[in-house]
Amino acid sequence: MTTSDAAKSSEAVISIREVSMSYGARQVLDRVDLDVYRGEILVLLGGSGSGKTTLLKQILGLAQPETGSIALNGVDITRCSQSELGAVRRRIGVAFQGGALFNSLSVADNVALPLRELTQLADSTIKLTVWMKLMAVGLSDAGSLYPPELSGGMRKRAAVARAMALDPEILIFDEPSAGLDPIVSAGLDELILFLKRSFGMTILVVTHELKSAFHIADRVAMLYRGRVIAVDTKERFAGNAHPRIRQFLDRQPDAAPGVAAEEFIASFLRGSKDDY
Amino acid sequence: MTFLEQVGQAAVVRVEDAGAFTIQFWSVLRKLPRMLPIVGTGTRWRSVVQQMLAIGASALPMSGTMALCTGFILALQSASELRRFGALEFVVDLVAIGFTRELGPLITALSVSGRSASAISAEIGTMVVTEEIDALRVMGLDPVEFILAPKYLAALITIPCLTILSTLCGIFAGYLFLALSMDMSLRIYFQAVAEAILLRDVAFLLVKSLVFATIIVQVGCLEGLRVRGGPEAVGHSTTAAVVKSTFLVIFADLLATAIFYLMGWSSVK
Repeated sequence: MTTSDAAKSSEAVISIREVSMSYGARQVLDRVDLDVYRGEILVLLGGSGSGKTTLLKQILGLAQPETGSIALNGVDITRCSQSELGAVRRRIGVAFQGGALFNSLSVADNVALPLRELTQLADSTIKLTVWMKLMAVGLSDAGSLYPPELSGGMRKRAAVARAMALDPEILIFDEPSAGLDPIVSAGLDELILFLKRSFGMTILVVTHELKSAFHIADRVAMLYRGRVIAVDTKERFAGNAHPRIRQFLDRQPDAAPGVAAEEFIASFLRGSKDDY
Repeated sequence: MTFLEQVGQAAVVRVEDAGAFTIQFWSVLRKLPRMLPIVGTGTRWRSVVQQMLAIGASALPMSGTMALCTGFILALQSASELRRFGALEFVVDLVAIGFTRELGPLITALSVSGRSASAISAEIGTMVVTEEIDALRVMGLDPVEFILAPKYLAALITIPCLTILSTLCGIFAGYLFLALSMDMSLRIYFQAVAEAILLRDVAFLLVKSLVFATIIVQVGCLEGLRVRGGPEAVGHSTTAAVVKSTFLVIFADLLATAIFYLMGWSSVK
């Protein structure tokens, strides 16, 4: 029994069904189906313009799909009320691409913010929780710093600590390795694996970074032109023969627009010579 | 695109602007009670005070100086005409009424619009670009309550105060001029000022300053929240915020003054 079969037997925490979205004539998402199972790390791969940002916004309830449904923990967030959406969101933590920390608050206050606003916990409990979260991401001595004073890697770790503040079941990472050097990026990968191991979290990672994707993933999904063209365990995904996946994995460029332009100019010059 | 289509499209954009403004204004207004110190949640009041310092207190030197200069200019310009009729003392009425009804609120609004509409839209626009607004929403915190409402309440409190202080500065400039040119004493000057100004002039000043505060903050927030894309969009939104809020302030001033005039409130005694 492979890991994917094992995963399929458990329940889907995020379940995306037939989600479509278009801006004007451009179809950004085309009947996307995707499941994320409890306790797994699913990496959603996709190039620029593949629709992965749009899909992420819809999973977070920041945008509505035109058709289809997205269920988080069994609640369809495309049709539920604002208060239900609020309840569902408390079970999700999101680490945004740039961290999205509030610059006017210290790192510790950033982590404490959701606890102060959304729970009735006593101040001492909040302080302890914040310290534990910072400890878990390896920032226990950076609590009093302000976001602009942090390095890129620390900022992402702080964002993870804030995302974990309310002990979510689902963690979502948007481009965790973007803008980081390989060493820091590898450290973040280890953090993601650590979170899965020790807290049993369900983790969805949206990225285009291949190395990191194959290191951390249980399963890999590939989004191309608004369609999920493959979802598989990373071993089987690496052997997938779909031309676009091969191109992505082997880092081959599209037909370069420069070549077409050169040909056009050449033919234009030839044509104009004929006129004389 | 035909001319008619262009006109239609421009009109649709304006109507959309007005709609977005109204919706945002209403949703911010509904959150205002929660900002208040004793009846509200309490934690928000601290950010309101911060905003009061940023929008109001630090604008005082600038708008005060602007009012002082304008008051002196007004006195100088009117004196050269009034002196020909031997009616130099009417400079008092002109400066007092002119500042209370018109120049005080307007100059304050223009200086705050230049300082704060741009600052607000840049701050919020940057938060949109860095996904901080999205992060708030995902955490279940309402950006309207968290970011917009403290700014609006701070402006509603500080801009009328600022307006009163700049008006006093402007009127004081009138005294400076008269003291220099005809040795008028401070007591006589301010007695004449108190006689010239009616209570409804002061009420008019306060209403105007509240309207201007609304325009400046709401336009700043609206333009900031509209930012899409990268950091360069923040620059565009800042420019748009200043241009639109300045224009709307002057336009609202025209409407208010026209109403004041047509109701017959402007006839003196």
